[in-house]
Amino acid sequence: MEPRIKENNALFMLIVGLLSWVLPGAGHFIIKEKKRSAIIFVTITLTFCIGLYISSIGVVDPVASKICYTGQILTSPLVALLGHLTRGGAFVVYGKPSEIGQIYTGVAGLLNLLCIINAVYLAHLSGTESAGGKNAIDS
Amino acid sequence: MLSTLDIVIATFNSPEPIQTNPQSLLLLLPLVAAIAIIYKATKMPTITTGGFLKETVTLLGSIVIFIAITALVLYVLAWFISA
Repeated sequence: MEPRIKENNALFMLIVGLLSWVLPGAGHFIIKEKKRSAIIFVTITLTFCIGLYISSIGVVDPVASKICYTGQILTSPLVALLGHLTRGGAFVVYGKPSEIGQIYTGVAGLLNLLCIINAVYLAHLSGTESAGGKNAIDS
Repeated sequence: MLSTLDIVIATFNSPEPIQTNPQSLLLLLPLVAAIAIIYKATKMPTITTGGFLKETVTLLGSIVIFIAITALVLYVLAWFISA
């Protein structure tokens, strides 16, 4: 019976992680951390939108700035849609606005990575708690 | 006639003019606030409005003060080297 519980918990953790990536805060929402979920959603979305507002959607550039794009796509897979729009070079942005936009959007993605890891960890804890493994939480 | 949605979308199509001046450093504050909020949202065991605000503002202040001290030290170092 125990391997089955472990298997279900691993699947649940995977779902929580994926949901957190698709929509910031959704992973926390599914594990009933609604306040945390709302805070994460508003903060990450706002940070990413400030970056886009400052430097335009041209800051999401999967061709010219691959490293920054790696950070940006951690915000949500929907960023790939923006990357597809800007791929042709129609929204090129240079200088200080580009720099600041890259920092904002990149940091939003990295913060979401932190939230994904936190949501998966909380899902793991809730799984071990429901399976009777309270010691895992205490340690 | 342009709708509100068109205007909102248009603001994301062209970059904002940002000068290289001391005021542009204020753009640091929303980013630091976001970092402090997310860090505290993931670290606090239970979230209450008062406690969360207090912890976040404390962290935000600490980061800003640390950045200011670092900037001051670098400025003094640069002044010594160039003098």
